[in-house]
Amino acid sequence: MELDFSILSKFQYALRLGLWTTLKLTVICIVLGCALGFAVGLARTSRNIAVRAVSSAYVEFFRGTPVLVQLFWIFFCLPLMLGVELSNFTSGVVALTLYMGAITSETFRASLKSIGPEQFDACVALGLPRNVQVINVVLPQAVLRAIPTLLSNCVSLFKESALVSAVGMADLMFVGQNISNNTARPVEVLTVVALIYFVIAFPLTRAVSVIEARILRKLAI
Amino acid sequence: MEYTFDFNAVSLAPLLKGLWVSLELTVAANVIGIVFGFGLALLIMSPFKLVRLPFMLFVEFFRCTPAIVQIVWIFYCVPMLFDVFLDPITMGVLALGLNLMAFNAEAYRASIQAVPKEQIDAGIALGLTPVQRILHIVFPTAFRASVPVLLTNGIVIFQQSALVAIVAIQDLMYQGKSLATETYRPIETFTVVALIYFAVSFPVTQIVGLLERRRQLLVS
Repeated sequence: MELDFSILSKFQYALRLGLWTTLKLTVICIVLGCALGFAVGLARTSRNIAVRAVSSAYVEFFRGTPVLVQLFWIFFCLPLMLGVELSNFTSGVVALTLYMGAITSETFRASLKSIGPEQFDACVALGLPRNVQVINVVLPQAVLRAIPTLLSNCVSLFKESALVSAVGMADLMFVGQNISNNTARPVEVLTVVALIYFVIAFPLTRAVSVIEARILRKLAI
Repeated sequence: MEYTFDFNAVSLAPLLKGLWVSLELTVAANVIGIVFGFGLALLIMSPFKLVRLPFMLFVEFFRCTPAIVQIVWIFYCVPMLFDVFLDPITMGVLALGLNLMAFNAEAYRASIQAVPKEQIDAGIALGLTPVQRILHIVFPTAFRASVPVLLTNGIVIFQQSALVAIVAIQDLMYQGKSLATETYRPIETFTVVALIYFAVSFPVTQIVGLLERRRQLLVS
């Protein structure tokens, strides 16, 4: 078969619009998901059993089910249960934020755990009050250590965001599938869509390894 | 809003049939991923740049594009490009297997690098051929070190297998979707579907946690 990539130039605008939706969705969910994840990460180390149980159940459930199922559940069931009409975009944001929150809370929990007990002993020896301990000693190290994993979570989220096409949101994947159905040229269109995703995700994964190496070096000193 | 739940509307038989298809896909993809992932890891660690580069590109491509794009691509483009027509399940296994191969190759690479240099030197001193060194020294050690990550990746593939519903393979998700439209009971159906996925994944994640904790105890 002959390939003809020039047909894509006609659909530049549509693809750009789809990419914009994908990026907007990703960024919003990253910001909300990180905040949620940090809160849940703290909640999972709480001394209150009820808080710990609820937050653990949330995390395990969202990590133990496919994102596609979560999306369908939220798209079809949340409006029915709440009795309110939710727009496509809102449901997408809710679903992906909950997913991001679950995986990010694990990241924060691991980084909080990695701070050794000697750090706390040193704080006590220096006579630092509790709030100074948390803000100036624990938090910077925890966030620094979480950065590489956080970034790879962001890449995962970017990739998972393609799933919203399955529930009819006009993101990059949805636009691509529409074009390929209408032009009967799936090879060209889908390849270009895949390349667009790759071009964005690949530099981010590189950045993860660079930052990781740098942080490791910095912490090793 | 008044909503009466009716879980009786959800018939389990089609869902379990779908679960069976999902599990088949998962197991087959895992066999491909675990076996060929190791070969792929060796290839991307090859000292020759010309060998290494194409395989690195392959791995990065599968790791940096959405799984759904890969699946749709393989379903639409492979028959057109290569003129091969396989049955949907085989295509699904191929798509998921290639994806898992890429992720497992990275896991193997990390643990191959962690195999102590002395062990390889000992292998050379004993006069083992390079193939024997890989089969008897590198593989067993690296495989054992990779087990937690391999299991995690395996269960991720189980969850990703829900994506094949989009290309009309009758897996658990597909059966759930058609049941939801047939019965007009999306809440109950999708809740049950989610619970089934959870019931399969959760024990495996617990096992991974257990393995990791045991490993840490052994190391410390």
